[in-house]
Amino acid sequence: MTGVAAFAAWLGAAMIVLADGRRGLALGIGLVAVGFTAIAWAGGVWLGGAFLLAGGAVAVIELLRSGPQDWGLMPAGSTPRLILAVAAAILSLWMAASVTTGPGASLRFASLAALGLTAARLLQSKAAAPALTGAAGLAIALASASELSPNHPGFAPYLIAAVIAAGALLLPAARSNGA
Amino acid sequence: MEPELAIGLPAVGAVITALLHPRPRAALVAGAVLGAAGIAAVLLAAPGLVSDQLGVSLSLSAMSRALLLAAAASLALIVAFPPPRADRSLLLTWGLAGIAGMAAIAAAPNLDDVILLTLAIALLHAAMGGRRPLAARLRAPALAVALLGAGLVFARLDGSQILARFAAIGLVAGLAAALGTLPYIHEFDPEELTATSPIAWIAFLGPILALAVITRAHELIPTAGAIFAAMLIGLGLLNVLWGGLASWLTEKGTSAWHYSFMADWGLALCAFGVLLVDGQAAAVLLLYGIVLSRLPLYLWSRQSMRESIQTDRPINLLAAAMLAGAAPFAGFAARLFLLRGATQLYWPLALVIGIGLLLWLPPSLRLGRSLGAPRGRQALGVGIALALSVAIGLYPQPILSLAGL
Repeated sequence: MTGVAAFAAWLGAAMIVLADGRRGLALGIGLVAVGFTAIAWAGGVWLGGAFLLAGGAVAVIELLRSGPQDWGLMPAGSTPRLILAVAAAILSLWMAASVTTGPGASLRFASLAALGLTAARLLQSKAAAPALTGAAGLAIALASASELSPNHPGFAPYLIAAVIAAGALLLPAARSNGA
Repeated sequence: MEPELAIGLPAVGAVITALLHPRPRAALVAGAVLGAAGIAAVLLAAPGLVSDQLGVSLSLSAMSRALLLAAAASLALIVAFPPPRADRSLLLTWGLAGIAGMAAIAAAPNLDDVILLTLAIALLHAAMGGRRPLAARLRAPALAVALLGAGLVFARLDGSQILARFAAIGLVAGLAAALGTLPYIHEFDPEELTATSPIAWIAFLGPILALAVITRAHELIPTAGAIFAAMLIGLGLLNVLWGGLASWLTEKGTSAWHYSFMADWGLALCAFGVLLVDGQAAAVLLLYGIVLSRLPLYLWSRQSMRESIQTDRPINLLAAAMLAGAAPFAGFAARLFLLRGATQLYWPLALVIGIGLLLWLPPSLRLGRSLGAPRGRQALGVGIALALSVAIGLYPQPILSLAGL
């Protein structure tokens, strides 16, 4: 169950990297939110998972509500991005399963992969919408990674991440520039 | 309840000041009252005492309390004695929002919250507008958040000992990216408004963020503590050298100021790396210098730099002396503490830092001249900044006691 959720989170982060259109970005952030929510719920973090889901849902709605609606998946010249998405998955899997020990390998894999991919999107993007979607994904990944702590972090990281995910795409610059 | 009020009151003040912007006098009064109330809450907060009124354990350390007060004093100085043609209510709005964010970072119970709050501040800062596109303004702080997040994740992974070292690298690199020091110098447009430019990170938000990251990093990776400190010192020396030389040799006056902040941060990073009381005392005084002396002088010098005015009056020489860390200004006391701490730790380090300090002289003279001939309120503001620096330099103990040192 958590393995499938971790795969969904990676797939969502990969979609954020590979898509230039708002529909593709919406699918990506939706998958990231659903994947990390499932991991949180599997770990008994019900309130935190609900925050992530709510934040991701608002981000998806905002992406689908305004701006030009297209998928923009893997436009010409996106081979390096595809290689990045696959390499991030392999590296994260190796880190989570071989280099590190202990329970929670799914969360380790999903956190590392999503952290790397969303950060790469933020650095590479020239338009506002992909950058802000990357920021939303980064926030969700960081909040979920807080569960790796030996001490329970409480609901605060999830709440802040949800506010970031919901609010990032409401920022004025996200609308004017489209995708 | 004090930490909650320290965050909430400046945040409400920022919102009300923004709403009242068409009526500047009312906006200033409302913002000043709420901001002062927030700072009173910071002053009244007992260091280390945890408050759990909102379901989140918030507490302010002595050192973060001292830095919050410095930031508030700097904001008060800038709003009371604004640079020519500056919109005071807008300055107060942005300043109060920054103070609220800094108080939240200072009071956050763990590094996860600190990093997420930094991302939230980065998004709001990037959305404030400016000459560069949003994606470009978001790039450096987002890189910082990602690196700090990666460092945090590595710190929590069980496995090889090398993971703690990776964590230390991530945290130091993330801190450098957040501040905009070498090797992640933020893209800087000299014509951009100060509040929307990278100066807001390096001179206003940076000190409290650095403190939050560094203090928590020592608890997070105790096995790699020495490596973390060594990297801070190495990065600090690099910034002293690069910032000092670039500030001296660069053509544009505004860029010279930007590099001078980097050089000051180089010393502060070295001080944070010297894990002795003297090192921490030096760090606090250096950060006070950045927030309370260098930042206001930078703002007051922008108009004269636009008009290419350079003067050699006594006030320019005094400003240059303050920026160079000469006696009896606060920078001198900070440098003494740093050299003493470095000597205790490893005397060749003190020698290298001592040689590096010479790099402050030529650029400080240049920066002092760029202040022009301040008049009226601005001259009074410069006078107060100089007097504060002299007071701290001659008797730094009250500041150090406030910081719990």
